[in-house]
Amino acid sequence: MSNILSSILTTSFAASIIRIMVPILFAALAASVTEKAGVVNIGLEGTMSLCALIAVTCAWKSGSTLVGVLGAMALGVLLSLMIGFFAFKFKTDIILCGIAVNTLGEGGAVLLLYLLTGSKGDTQTVMGAWNLPRVTVPLLSKIPVIGEIFFTNQSILTYVAFICVLLVWILLYKTPLGIRIRAVGENDHAADSVGVGVYKIKYISLVICGLLCGMAGAYMSMSYMTMFSKGMIAGRGFIALAAQAMGRGEPVGVMLSSLLFGFAQALANYVKGTNLPARLVEALPYVVTILGITIYAISTFNKTRKIRARQEKKEQKKAAA
Amino acid sequence: MKKFVAILLCLVMVLAIVACKKTETATTEPKTETTEAKKLQVVNLVNGNLGDKSFFDSAESGMKALQDAGLVEYKTIEMGTDESTWQNYVEEVASSKQYDIIVCGTWQMPDNLIPVAQKYTDQLFIIYDTEVKVDDKYLPNVASIQYNQNDMGYLVGVYAALLETKSDLTGLNEQKILGFVGGEDSPVICDFLVGYIEGAQSIDPDIKVDWRWIGNYTDSALGKEIGAAEIEAGADIIWGVGGNAGTGAVEACYEKGMYFIGVDSDQEQTLDPKYAAITMTSGLKNVGTSLEYVIKKYLEGDKSFWGTCSYLGLAEDGVGIATAGNFAKQSKDIQDAVNAVKDKILAGEVKVDTAFDANFDYYGLMNQVKSGN
Repeated sequence: MSNILSSILTTSFAASIIRIMVPILFAALAASVTEKAGVVNIGLEGTMSLCALIAVTCAWKSGSTLVGVLGAMALGVLLSLMIGFFAFKFKTDIILCGIAVNTLGEGGAVLLLYLLTGSKGDTQTVMGAWNLPRVTVPLLSKIPVIGEIFFTNQSILTYVAFICVLLVWILLYKTPLGIRIRAVGENDHAADSVGVGVYKIKYISLVICGLLCGMAGAYMSMSYMTMFSKGMIAGRGFIALAAQAMGRGEPVGVMLSSLLFGFAQALANYVKGTNLPARLVEALPYVVTILGITIYAISTFNKTRKIRARQEKKEQKKAAA
Repeated sequence: MKKFVAILLCLVMVLAIVACKKTETATTEPKTETTEAKKLQVVNLVNGNLGDKSFFDSAESGMKALQDAGLVEYKTIEMGTDESTWQNYVEEVASSKQYDIIVCGTWQMPDNLIPVAQKYTDQLFIIYDTEVKVDDKYLPNVASIQYNQNDMGYLVGVYAALLETKSDLTGLNEQKILGFVGGEDSPVICDFLVGYIEGAQSIDPDIKVDWRWIGNYTDSALGKEIGAAEIEAGADIIWGVGGNAGTGAVEACYEKGMYFIGVDSDQEQTLDPKYAAITMTSGLKNVGTSLEYVIKKYLEGDKSFWGTCSYLGLAEDGVGIATAGNFAKQSKDIQDAVNAVKDKILAGEVKVDTAFDANFDYYGLMNQVKSGN
C-alpha cells in the first residue's frame, strides 16, 4: 500500500492524469455546449474516431501537423452539422442520429483506413508517426512541481484544452450568444417567442461541439499516440458524456469531473502493478462512470420533477381561472 | 409531390427486386465452378477485421499462400466486431454447403461454432488459437489448433533477460525488472506470460516481471499509459502482447528511452522506423504457417487433426522469434544462448509450464514475480 502511495505522489503520475483527461475534457466541453443548447449529441465517440483518423491523414498529406488539427476540426464540424441537419431538418430522433454517427465512426474509420493505407489496423506503417509540437513554457516551467507537471514538455493541445475551459465559460456566460444558447436550451419556445432563431443557435452549438471534438480526435492520434489505430477511442466519447453530466455542463465542473476520470484511470494503471485482483482494479474507471451517470440520473429526475410541478401549478391556475 | 414519392418508392422496390435476383445468381455461380475445378474450397471467417498485423493477417497470408500454390480456393469473410452476429455467419456458410473447410479462430469463437458444428456434422471446421470441447469431448468434425506460446514466451524471456543483464544497451536501469503489457486476462495471454517468466528466471532467478492487463485489444493509448506506468515502476524492456493495444506500449518505451518486444508478427517491419529501432525482436505466432501445415496434411489424406486438439510449436514453425532485425545486431553470446535454449526445447530437455495445464497454478507463479509488492 505504501508503494502505491509513494508511486502516485510523483510528477509522472500527475502527468499521466493530464494525458488521460485531456481528450475527455475536450469531448466533455463539446457535450456541454450542445447540452446547454438543448441538443443531446451522443455521437462524440464516432466523431472523435473519424477526426483522429483524418488528423493523421491530413498531417501526412500536407506534412504539417497544424493542417492535421484543422482537418480534424473541419470534419468534426461537418459530422456535427450532419447530426443537426437530420435531426432538425428531417426531424429524425437526435439519439438515433448520434448512434448513426457512432456506427459510422466505428465502421467508416476502418473503411477509410483501408482505402488510405490498405491496412485495417493502424496508420503507422504507411503514414509514419506524427506528433504535435511539445511546448515548455519559459518562466512557468521553473515553478517547482507544478511547473514540471503542467508546463514542461506538454502537447500544445493540452494548453488549448485548458484555455478552452475558459473560452467556453466566457462564451456561455459573458456573451450574447451564450445567453441565447442557454435560453434555447432552457425553453426553446420562449426563446423563439422573443425572436431568437432557435435552429440557428442549435446549429452554432453543434459547430462549436464539432470544433472541440475535432481537437479531441487530433489529440488522440497526434499527441497521446502518434498514429491512428482502429478502436483507439475505446469509449472515451461516452466517458466524456458522463463527465459532462457529472459536471452539470458547467465548464469548470466538467474540467473537475474529467480530472476525476483521469485520476481513476491513472490510479487503476498504477494499482495494476500490485497483487490486488486485476479485474477489480480494471473496473475502477467504470465504477466512477456509473457513479457519474447515477448522479446525472438523480439530477435530471429532480429537474423533470420540478418542471412537472411547475406545469401542474400552471394548469391548476388555468383551471381556476 | 405525393405522386412523385409513390413513383420513387416503386422504382426503389423494382430496383431492390432486380438487385436481389442478381446476388442470387452471384451466389450460385461459384457452386458450379467448384464442381468443375474440384479444388478444396475454404472459407476463412475473421471475427473482427483484417489489418491487426497479428493472427488474422497471418491466417489470411496462409490462405493466400495455399491458393497461390494452387491447392485451395478461399474466401475471407470479415465478420466485424459485433459478436452477436458471428454465429449467424458460421451458420450461413455451413448451411450453404459451398465450402469443404470452414476456418475460424480465437477464444471468442467456440461458443458460436459449437451449435453449428453439432448441427452440420458433415461440415469440417478448423479453429485456431483455442479448442472446442463439448462435455470434455472433442467434436469429430472440428480440428482445434493451439500454439505453444509458452515455448515462444520462454525464448523471449531468455532473450530479454540476457539483454537486461548482459547486453550493452544504453539507458537500462539498475533494477532487474522486465515489463509485460497484456491484452486481457485469458489463458492464452497467461501462457505467453508463464513462458516469459520462466525463461527470464532461468537466466537470473532475481529477475522480476511487472505484468499488467490493458482490458482490451484496441485501446492503444491505454496500452501506452500502462507501459509508461511499468517503466515508472522500474521496467526497462517491455513485451507488448495485446494486438494494437499492446503495441501502444512501444511509444511509452520510445519516450522514456527504453526497449520493446513485439508479438505475433515481426513488428520491426511494420512499425515506424524510430519505433522499430527500439523493438528488439518479436515473438512470432505463425497462424498462417500452421493452417498451411494442417490443410496440406488434409490434402495428403491425413485427417488426424480432426476430433482432437493439436499443439503446434517450435518444431512445426507454429511459433518462433524474429531473428532478422535487431536480434542479429546483438552480441554473438546472446544470440548463441537463445539458439541453444531453442534447441533444448526442441530436444525436450527444457520443459516449459503452460497455463493450459489444469494442475499448474500459473497465477501463483505470476503473482510471485510481480515487482510491485
